[in-house]
Amino acid sequence: MPIGIKSYGAYLPRWLLPRDLIAKAWDFPSIPGSKAVASEDEDSITMSVEAGLDCLASIDPKSVDGLFFASTTQVYTEKDSASLIATVLDLREDIITADFTDSIKSGTTALARAIDTIKANKDIKSILIVAADTREPEPSTMWEYGYADGAAALLVAEGDDLPLVIDDYYSISANVTGPWKRTHEDKFIRTFEVKMDAQFYVKSITKVMSEIMKRNDLKPEEVDIAAYYYNNPRVHGRISKMMKFPQGAAQNGLFFQLGDFGTPMAFMLLMVALKRPKEDAKVILAGYGDGADAILMHIKDRKAVRELSKTHLGVAGHQKSMIVLNNYSKFIENKELLEKDRYVRKSSAVTMWRDAPAIYKWYGLKCTSCGTVQYPTTARSCATCRADDQLELVKLAHKGIIFTYTLDHLVGGAYLDTPVPRCVIDLEGGGRVLLNMTEIQKPEENVKIGMEVELTFRKEHEGADFHNYYWKCRPLRH
Amino acid sequence: MSKIKGIRDKVAIIGCDATKYGERWDKNQYDLLFEASRDAFKDAGIKKDEVEAAWVGIYYYFTGMSGSTVEDILRLDGIPITRTENYCASGMDAFRNACFGVASGAYDVVLACGVEKLMDEGGSGLPGFKIFGHPVLPLPSAPAMFSMAATRCFHEFGWTKEDLARVAVKNHENGFYHPKAHFHSKITVDQVMKAPMIADPLGRFDCCAMSDGAAALILTTPELAESYAHADDYIVVKANAISNRTNFPWYIPSNGPGADFTSFPATVKAAEYAYKEAGITDPRKEIDAAEVHDCFTITELINCQDLQFCDRGMAAEELKNGTFNWDGETAVNPSGGLKSFGHPIGSTGCRMLQEITKQLQGRAEGRQVPDAKVGLCHNLGGAFSVASVTILGQRD
Repeated sequence: MPIGIKSYGAYLPRWLLPRDLIAKAWDFPSIPGSKAVASEDEDSITMSVEAGLDCLASIDPKSVDGLFFASTTQVYTEKDSASLIATVLDLREDIITADFTDSIKSGTTALARAIDTIKANKDIKSILIVAADTREPEPSTMWEYGYADGAAALLVAEGDDLPLVIDDYYSISANVTGPWKRTHEDKFIRTFEVKMDAQFYVKSITKVMSEIMKRNDLKPEEVDIAAYYYNNPRVHGRISKMMKFPQGAAQNGLFFQLGDFGTPMAFMLLMVALKRPKEDAKVILAGYGDGADAILMHIKDRKAVRELSKTHLGVAGHQKSMIVLNNYSKFIENKELLEKDRYVRKSSAVTMWRDAPAIYKWYGLKCTSCGTVQYPTTARSCATCRADDQLELVKLAHKGIIFTYTLDHLVGGAYLDTPVPRCVIDLEGGGRVLLNMTEIQKPEENVKIGMEVELTFRKEHEGADFHNYYWKCRPLRH
Repeated sequence: MSKIKGIRDKVAIIGCDATKYGERWDKNQYDLLFEASRDAFKDAGIKKDEVEAAWVGIYYYFTGMSGSTVEDILRLDGIPITRTENYCASGMDAFRNACFGVASGAYDVVLACGVEKLMDEGGSGLPGFKIFGHPVLPLPSAPAMFSMAATRCFHEFGWTKEDLARVAVKNHENGFYHPKAHFHSKITVDQVMKAPMIADPLGRFDCCAMSDGAAALILTTPELAESYAHADDYIVVKANAISNRTNFPWYIPSNGPGADFTSFPATVKAAEYAYKEAGITDPRKEIDAAEVHDCFTITELINCQDLQFCDRGMAAEELKNGTFNWDGETAVNPSGGLKSFGHPIGSTGCRMLQEITKQLQGRAEGRQVPDAKVGLCHNLGGAFSVASVTILGQRD
């Protein structure tokens, strides 16, 4: 049975940092455009959840057989991220999960491994690949112009009705000390000789694309879409010429519009390129890092591909609702790059594990006696009718209406704008919850009783020396 | 509810006092307990060895663990001492348990006291979830919790920040005349409105201050009270009620109790119990002086409604018209309340009780409510989680 791309999704954070703010801050020569930047309550896990939710927008999470996470900015070196993301996405327990890390080609590598796994295992019919990066550039270096934050997700599956079918992949492995970051010694990414690196990496990415074309008797002029990642926009353009791709085949690298995302970037370029699908179009997807991967596919169902861009936000959908930052100092403070005493709550790994249905999977309880939906999941007696042991687990909505709120000037945690709205929310379909609001500008003017909000999974604090996540709310983004 | 027998007329207050409230930098919690208890013993005209059992209200563990905190300063030679913790009702719950000790016939003379030493922890707000609470479920600060009720009351009743400000102005005015209050400064509506915001719509003057203090009362039966110093003017406990509700009102579903955020169901229920026990049918007319929990300005307004001093939605209007003034129809917080005393949590209930005792004895110098015969004390603690109501009256 063919294997292909069943669905896709992406996540771009709310904020765009214009490069001229960076130029002004450090008295650097300016580069045009902006880049997407996450707030400090976001990381590769929270952004993967967002991209995963977008990808599974019309798909039952219980139907997915595996989750691969790809990133160079995984939040733990011992303890994986895939299992946490799978939990929050409410996937089944009898699935496979794995992290692909340490190289910006991890996304395409995870895709290749997903193809192998589905091919080899009759019980695994679909794997969700989530790729995310929050690479942090050293302030006042040119890298600040590049590194952007975001995530992308692809659902790889076997089936006869796939919008995109995968025909082949080809990979190489290659070792060079290009940009690197040591486990313990480095806070920011290091480089040695960028010109040498460039020559090396260009060789890798052109090699895998040439080789996969050769293996499949594909001439450059027959390539309809070339969604390959390269971090330098000028070199990105040069690669297309080296490959002799026809005019318009190479997807623009998005560097000026959005920045350099790392691991999820190849997937993002693919999504953007698929906005104008041609029947039977030949598509090359390629990523590089310590080696490179090229994946060859073709559009099998043009209408289905177009439908994907309607039912999923993808890159373009998120791009529409981004907000341009106008204050570099506020941004750098939110990134916690200033030496300050940070707010830390207590935590317990035991409680976080036991309460997973409520705090990660977002379940509440429904009283079978009076029908009232309530939160969290720890109750044994109904809060409304007081009936004992009549409460059943029920999935809660990710949207609701503000019943009451305060604007808290005693801020704890990472927020770009203050005061922080703390909101009592009546969820669609029942259940009342208390959530802090993120991504709100001018809260004094914009937060109101009756306002519609949606949930977003965020990093809360570092209590007990691990990452503690929970949901926040935000104004409707789309 | 109707089956509860209660302790009406079974317990008498024969002595009481409180420390000076404020930033008591040079005193620790033991000093404060000693000061309040010594003065209560003196007021009752008894020696400490006459006390057969004691209860102490303490909220935070750093103020003291267990009843032994009292033993460590008073040296009561092994009598039973129990620490009570029930949020801001901790002190009044110590009193309630002490009442039961006497009413049951188990003890003749008991001590009820409360203390809290907040300033040693730093003065910038109550210690919160660095030390307790769920790892990630939001736990708003106290001002944030109560401001959620304010937001809702603004929406439902049309109240404004100015309405809240009047509570602060009234209570600061009353506290000006109380020698033991933390603050002795009259303030204006304009000052309250212009103060820095803490949790919108509550600003700094809408919040009570961090403070240190202790208070103590000596209890016995009305029969035995006849042989003590206040034989002619001992005060009788008419009712004593507590109601507990959820710690997390923001999770109560929209059709559940207290879901409206414009009323505190714990106050409503504790008041119902207490009025029934005391035989009070028209609280507004029958209660002459009330110490009502005013941790925040909005708290007092909502409580005045829940205690049936006025109709729902009318508290702001009634306050403006002077109903709750020191010389109004129902004097609310003639002492100056938490706004003037601060809120050393475990002590506050006992501080209110000794205040109303003195009001009913006619010895509330400089702030005496004219002709006060029946008084009420009320606390609301946690996230609207617990309310205590005690009604005191004069001896027959």
